[in-house]
Amino acid sequence: MAKSRPRDDPRLRDGATRIESVLVPEDFESIAEMEAEARAGREGEPHGDDSLMERFDRWDLRRFTASDAVKAVVLTTLLLLIFAGGAVRKAADELDPGIGRDVVKAVGGPAGWISDELPFAETRRDLTSWLSPDEQLSGTGFEAGGVSPGRAAAVTPPPPSMPQALNRLLVTGDSLSTPLDIETARKFADQGAAVEVTRDPHLATGISNSGLVDWGQLSSTQAANDDPDAVVLFIGANEGYPLPSPNGAQVSCCGPQWEAVFRSRIGQMMDNYLRGGTQRVYWLTIPTQRDPARKPISDAVNQAIEGAAAQRGASVRVVDLRPTFTPGDSYRDAIPIDGKQTIVRESDGIHLNEEGSSVAADLVLQAVDRDFDY
Amino acid sequence: MLFPTVEFAIFFPVVLAISWALMSRQPLWKPFIVVASYVFYAAVDPRFCLLLGAITVDSQLAAVGIHRTEDERLRKWICASGVVFDLGILAVFKYYGFFVTDVSDVLDTVGLGMPLPLATIALPVGVSFFSFQAVTYIVDVKRRQTEPANLLDAAIYLSFFPHLVAGPIVRASEFLPQLRAPRNPSRVAVSAGLTLVALGLIKKVMIADYLARELVDPVFAVPQAYSAPDAILAAYGYAAQIFCDFSGYTDMAIGLALLLGFVFPQNFNSPYRATGFRDFWRRWHMTLSRFLRDYLYIPLGGNRKGKVRTYINLMATMTLGGLWHGAAWNFVAWGAFQGTGLSAEHAIRGRLGRIFPGWLRWFVTFNLIVVGWILFRSTDLSLFGDYMAALVRSGPATLYSVPVVGAIALVIGLQLLPERPMEGIELRISRLQPLLMGAALALVVLVVGATVPSQGVPPFIYFRF
Repeated sequence: MAKSRPRDDPRLRDGATRIESVLVPEDFESIAEMEAEARAGREGEPHGDDSLMERFDRWDLRRFTASDAVKAVVLTTLLLLIFAGGAVRKAADELDPGIGRDVVKAVGGPAGWISDELPFAETRRDLTSWLSPDEQLSGTGFEAGGVSPGRAAAVTPPPPSMPQALNRLLVTGDSLSTPLDIETARKFADQGAAVEVTRDPHLATGISNSGLVDWGQLSSTQAANDDPDAVVLFIGANEGYPLPSPNGAQVSCCGPQWEAVFRSRIGQMMDNYLRGGTQRVYWLTIPTQRDPARKPISDAVNQAIEGAAAQRGASVRVVDLRPTFTPGDSYRDAIPIDGKQTIVRESDGIHLNEEGSSVAADLVLQAVDRDFDY
Repeated sequence: MLFPTVEFAIFFPVVLAISWALMSRQPLWKPFIVVASYVFYAAVDPRFCLLLGAITVDSQLAAVGIHRTEDERLRKWICASGVVFDLGILAVFKYYGFFVTDVSDVLDTVGLGMPLPLATIALPVGVSFFSFQAVTYIVDVKRRQTEPANLLDAAIYLSFFPHLVAGPIVRASEFLPQLRAPRNPSRVAVSAGLTLVALGLIKKVMIADYLARELVDPVFAVPQAYSAPDAILAAYGYAAQIFCDFSGYTDMAIGLALLLGFVFPQNFNSPYRATGFRDFWRRWHMTLSRFLRDYLYIPLGGNRKGKVRTYINLMATMTLGGLWHGAAWNFVAWGAFQGTGLSAEHAIRGRLGRIFPGWLRWFVTFNLIVVGWILFRSTDLSLFGDYMAALVRSGPATLYSVPVVGAIALVIGLQLLPERPMEGIELRISRLQPLLMGAALALVVLVVGATVPSQGVPPFIYFRF
């Protein structure tokens, strides 16, 4: 077979980087061979691979020194620390415990201090806050003293005894609430129900950790902005953080004191929805998780859910997922669905996968069916 | 570790400075860059490092074994066993669940069900990419296109953090020569690298994530709840989103590598200006398409065994290429859709240009590609059916806004502009002084960072593959 020299072939003008033939041309076998030849021919040369740079060099790319590269990147980093050092400190608080968090914390502490001492971070916030996609939260947050364990359930209007029309349903929570939110919305849509399902998952958030979002405020805001007839809550993947007791001391998870403070926070959220006009709150319990170390947390969270719901009567329904997903309180990846063992958990042993979320959505719909017409 | 995170913003300057400080002392630099890359990967899950290490050792053993023998039969066997090991790891971690559930269901219907145990297996991020790179290493040595490297160089090639988790798929024969001598510290494409990092950030966070949040995710979650105007816009929106998401990642990967003194191949070249499927695959995820061509299509026989075999090979290549993207039927169907397009185009090759004007070929191609993206984005085939139904359902437009439509028009429109001036602008910017570019990058990060929701930056789409 006659072959042209690689350098002469216009199809190889960009060297090995440009893929001139893809899947179908008749002659690409020969092009592959020519590319190999082109590479082989340059092997002895220093930095012979620089043909890869040709696409940059076509426009007379300017080269600099390695020292310039380091200086430029260090300058970028310094400017970021000065203008947004607080964000580094905040990021450390949101990371899971471990070496990565320790490193970010070690940088974030001083960076946050520098940022606080200089006026630039404030200026940056003023100039860029309009770009933030986060909604402005209203209402009383947990940290603002809105919660005390001894607080009784707020007086809320009793739920109507007759089924009411369901027009708007809010499905929210942390990462546990997705894809439950999608599956719930699809099930209503498949039934042709004219129910507007608002999906509002807040990943990586927790009721016991208000670093990313304060659920006390968020629940008020959701009730006001979304005006749901009913709310479905599935949250609890990121709990177990110390909580402040009424006397200001931090209480570690997961004893009775912690559970009491946690229950009052949940209660505040329930009240926020109910006072905002929501007729029913459906709160899902957390099925047992694979890691035994998480069991005390999920047990305390589930107890708190049941306790807070019991104080609010029929306005709050507990949708208990445990008998379905983890009967006998023992973790399992799969459960029988339509007579066939089906995996219902994600590989992390915490979240429900699509199939599992579909089962959970069925349980939610069963509960909603008792209270609403749609 | 994601590129657009605080952790990476701390990690990279340190690694960059030490890397260049050690560059002239290769016996120190090489272990350092391997350790840095493994630290980068361990941030996801330290256990996955064992997998990366196993693939590295296997590939190195196979490459050296192949090189040491002249017996073609033995070379072939060593090559096959090395490739089977690498792809076996990919199969177990990525496809086990799919085979146990979906494929087993299909086999059950014909009485061939396999009683395999159900298990949830975590997908190690990037396994699809580094296992393919390992295959190129073994096969390139077998084909005598490259010589085996030493174990350290092979470890750098497979673990080098800029390309570790989502490519581009760099061939051994492209990367290993870059390790033969220290990178030249007086010829670093600093401004080009910084420009690409900034561009990638803007594409990912300001366009891709914005479109996903405001338009694409809501419609694809419940297409039954939307009608034609929204479904059409969301389909184009996803085309823009996936391009910005993946090419944004690639831009950052190439830019970071340039700062470290390394060059990666081009991965995108204005794919939405394609006037045919073949042209599209010449422009979209170019390093995957050439992998499929060189390591699958050609070994299957390519177009050397007649027309029918060519079509079969095209369908097989693209269907497997679809499956590479994910263990689900929608990806298989998407691959088959691409294979059908390529085969049809092959059948009428040459006549297309005579019959249809260029603009019409572009219009048809672009819209077929968008239909393909609907299949790609739908989590299952029934959802795809729901989406197609939504495309013809009359109803109001509820998701149109100037920023959303503007972002889609910008992403697709820019690819239709003549290439030369666009590249010229980009590269003229990249000739600016590095310190100026460093300050500009900080400004970009601050602006981009302000658009990130409190929940952080969602993972890149291709991290799942």
